[in-house]
Amino acid sequence: MTVYLYLSLIPEALVASHLPPEEYGAYLALGSKKRSHGQAVFFKLSDEYARKKIEDSPIAEELRDGRLRRSAYLSIHRVLEHTPVDAIESLHLTTDDGRVLKLDHAGYEPIPGPRFHLYQEFCPITPRVVSELEPRAFAAEITDTSHAVSLPALVFAELVLERLGDDPEANGVDNLPYGGIEHLRDCLRELRAKPGKSTKLVVRHLEQDVLFRTIHRGFFVAGSGGAFRFFPMPTRQELETTHYAWWRSALRSGI
Amino acid sequence: MQNSAFWLVPAASVLSLGFAAWFFKAMHAADEGTPMMKEIAAHVREGAMAYLKQQYKVVGIVFAFLTIVFAWLAYGLHLQNPWVPFAFLTGGLFSGLAGFFGMKTATFAAARVAHAANQTLDAGLRLAFRSGAVMGLVVVGLALLDISVWFVVLNNFIDDPSATHKLVVITTTMLTFGMGASLQALFARVGGGIFTKAADVGADLVGKVEAGIPEDDPRNPATIADNVGDNVGDVAGMGADLYESYVGSILATAALGAAAFAQIGDAENGFKAVIAPMLVAAIGTMLSIIGIFAVHVKRGASQRDLLNALGRGINLSSALIFIASFFILKWLDLPNYAGIWGAIIVGLITGIVIGKATEYFTSQEYQPTKDIAANAKTGPATVIISGLGVGMLSTVVPVVAVVVGTTLAYCLASGSWDFGTGSIGMGLYGIGIAAVGMLSTLGITLATDAYGPIADNAGGNAEMSGLPPEVRRRTDALDSLGNTTAATGKGFAIGSAALTALALLASYVEELKIAMLHAGQKTMLVAGEAVDIGTATLTQFMTHYEVQLLNPKVILGVFIGSMMSFVFCGLTINAVGRAAASMVEEVRRQFKEKPGILQGEEKPDYARCVAISTAGAQREMILPSGLAVAVPIFVGLLFGVPGVFGLLAGGLATGFVLAVFMANSGGAWDNAKKYVEEGHLGGKGSNAHKAAVIGDTVGDPFKDTAGPSLNILIKLMSMVSIVTAGVNVAFTLF
Repeated sequence: MTVYLYLSLIPEALVASHLPPEEYGAYLALGSKKRSHGQAVFFKLSDEYARKKIEDSPIAEELRDGRLRRSAYLSIHRVLEHTPVDAIESLHLTTDDGRVLKLDHAGYEPIPGPRFHLYQEFCPITPRVVSELEPRAFAAEITDTSHAVSLPALVFAELVLERLGDDPEANGVDNLPYGGIEHLRDCLRELRAKPGKSTKLVVRHLEQDVLFRTIHRGFFVAGSGGAFRFFPMPTRQELETTHYAWWRSALRSGI
Repeated sequence: MQNSAFWLVPAASVLSLGFAAWFFKAMHAADEGTPMMKEIAAHVREGAMAYLKQQYKVVGIVFAFLTIVFAWLAYGLHLQNPWVPFAFLTGGLFSGLAGFFGMKTATFAAARVAHAANQTLDAGLRLAFRSGAVMGLVVVGLALLDISVWFVVLNNFIDDPSATHKLVVITTTMLTFGMGASLQALFARVGGGIFTKAADVGADLVGKVEAGIPEDDPRNPATIADNVGDNVGDVAGMGADLYESYVGSILATAALGAAAFAQIGDAENGFKAVIAPMLVAAIGTMLSIIGIFAVHVKRGASQRDLLNALGRGINLSSALIFIASFFILKWLDLPNYAGIWGAIIVGLITGIVIGKATEYFTSQEYQPTKDIAANAKTGPATVIISGLGVGMLSTVVPVVAVVVGTTLAYCLASGSWDFGTGSIGMGLYGIGIAAVGMLSTLGITLATDAYGPIADNAGGNAEMSGLPPEVRRRTDALDSLGNTTAATGKGFAIGSAALTALALLASYVEELKIAMLHAGQKTMLVAGEAVDIGTATLTQFMTHYEVQLLNPKVILGVFIGSMMSFVFCGLTINAVGRAAASMVEEVRRQFKEKPGILQGEEKPDYARCVAISTAGAQREMILPSGLAVAVPIFVGLLFGVPGVFGLLAGGLATGFVLAVFMANSGGAWDNAKKYVEEGHLGGKGSNAHKAAVIGDTVGDPFKDTAGPSLNILIKLMSMVSIVTAGVNVAFTLF
């Protein structure tokens, strides 16, 4: 029986399961008795890495002979930092009614963009920050252990900032779906006023589901030694055509 | 010559029903799409018919009971016209038929429209609009048929030496089938309104809260009930409602026309005044058919083209009736025909003004709704507060329009600008015919009203059948077009309800006169002098019954009438909450007992949800509808004619304003949510959206249950008073 290995980001955990990603996502979102629901974001790890981890697991036999249930937690602490970035195969975004979108990793090329970026961190911590650094530079900075504040690894996504990306004073940003727009402006103003400061905390931790429609470009994984992986979001047109069922569900998520 | 003109009325009826049958056949011949589409459509159809069957069973029992009561009053106590039980029954029957045919068409059309929209936008429009036209033409066709048949029957069977008095008896007798229509319409609106909102709120709440699935996901057991609700509320309920408004306005005006000329013993002009509203309606029906054919677009048309096409149809019909009504009245050679024509035009303009005001206060294109949406940024409380404020302010224009319209219609038709009581009969006739003018092109305005829910249902079918997203976008575009054009139709419906209710107040006096004569009374005391009842004026009746503000019985009636509107709204709104709770329980049970539903492995029991919502609606509609019938009778028994006048005046004034307030608040909340969903203020899923959704949920029973039912309530109370006028004359406690 095939056993899959997943790295769940909400909450951080390493999970073995007999369910393939689509079914596992639905299971995470809805539970076995369908009485719970909620977003899920998880990585599928490579088969090779999965085999190795499962062999080392104390429940290896139960997993192999199919006795185990739909999910068996192998680890729930500091999982990301112990997972090699190149073992991360695909990212799966699950809406709160169990629809799953698979994102494959792709090469990353920095593109000339706005001065400021808004990042939502997912794992191992969940603050929201604004930064002058583009994603790869931000990833390098946050995992640089020579800094007083650093992380061994991080998963984060860039969020839309619209005109605030260039000008913290910009008008016509009422349509941004974030609470506390004035506080966001203050954070951006502070970055602008202090040239030596590249990043500023906006929200200490994630308090509610992420609106998938606010994801700009995609998700990023930063690991030690400059390891970096990019999972681009499909274009709006692809979402509205190829992935319509997921997109429709994602638009309703959190309502 | 003019006598033979009457035959235009049944001819228009046959023509209208013929075209309805033709459009229905054409719609039915269209392809219903994939097997999945057919299956979903069949579920909705079965649910809708199961609902109607149960509804008509309950309504049938109520009608049987009331018919026995009326028969006892007519044949046992001789307090009532012997035709009343039969007229009452046919009014209810035809109103029910209008709803039945409308729903049959809508449930057959949904999948076919979705399939047509899968090809092109214009194909979807054509099929949806023609299906809506079936509803419009069936309503006016059945109404004109009922009116024609009863006029012919009563004209042949009623024997009265005085030609003028005979006309008064015929028209006041015909008014009583208005009560059957009103009662059936109230049941349809209240029952349909409770069903649709219970299913909607239930499907929405349980889907998202219990399982995190959208309301129109096939895994949601309440989703079919939700689609059925759109049909029973928006199609069957609306059909019965407008049938009632249409016949009510024609019959009240005919009765006022007969009464106006009876006072001066002019039978010839009396007859012309009776058939004038019927002819305006008949010609309006024919012009509606022309308008329906004017709605066509070329292949590949844009949304703007579609909007223009719908507007072209409605505007053409309205412009033609504007001209035609003048020539009808001129040809009839009614005294002061130009003034009466002026009243019709005033009615049309009043309807347009109310429609535009409704659109201004409820559309997300305008500031009031944008302001409500902006308040969503600060939470649900401010959304509710601003929605209530906007709804209250939105009453200004409709009330002023009705005041100005009534004034102009009265003065133009009476030929006097000082509200002189000398020509009060013609003034009131002007008010009635203004309402007829508003509804004269109901055939096409109702087509634009009914086509919205058909397009909406087609979208639901497309969604559940997994059709490409562009199909849903096309059906959404069709639905949104319908909402824009329907605003004018709604203005006509609201305005005509106010004017008709006003005209019915005067008809009540005519019915009192008939009842007094029927009781063998020849004279009455007016200011100490005996006055012949047959020739007494409306003012003399009011003096005789002491209908004046200083009479406490009038004031007591006004209080009770005002209270009735609120009690009625309270009962219907609470009913939605209870019925929705039953639905939530049922869906929760299904998810618990059939865990495979959410994984798509097991089919939900859709029929059970329909049955739950049906039972809830039937149970909950009895009390408010029963009150609407019982209260006028009890007030009449307690406080007599002055009390009834107070009741009707209080009910009309409060009910009209409350209806506008509730419909507009609900509409504005709904569109404020849509405005946010379009991507403004954070869009879907944002905190502003959550607040706007709460506003919309609060507004749902406002705009779809309580608000639309109020228009019928005020007319039904008048109709009940008219039908039981004989009891008021014979018995009163104080």
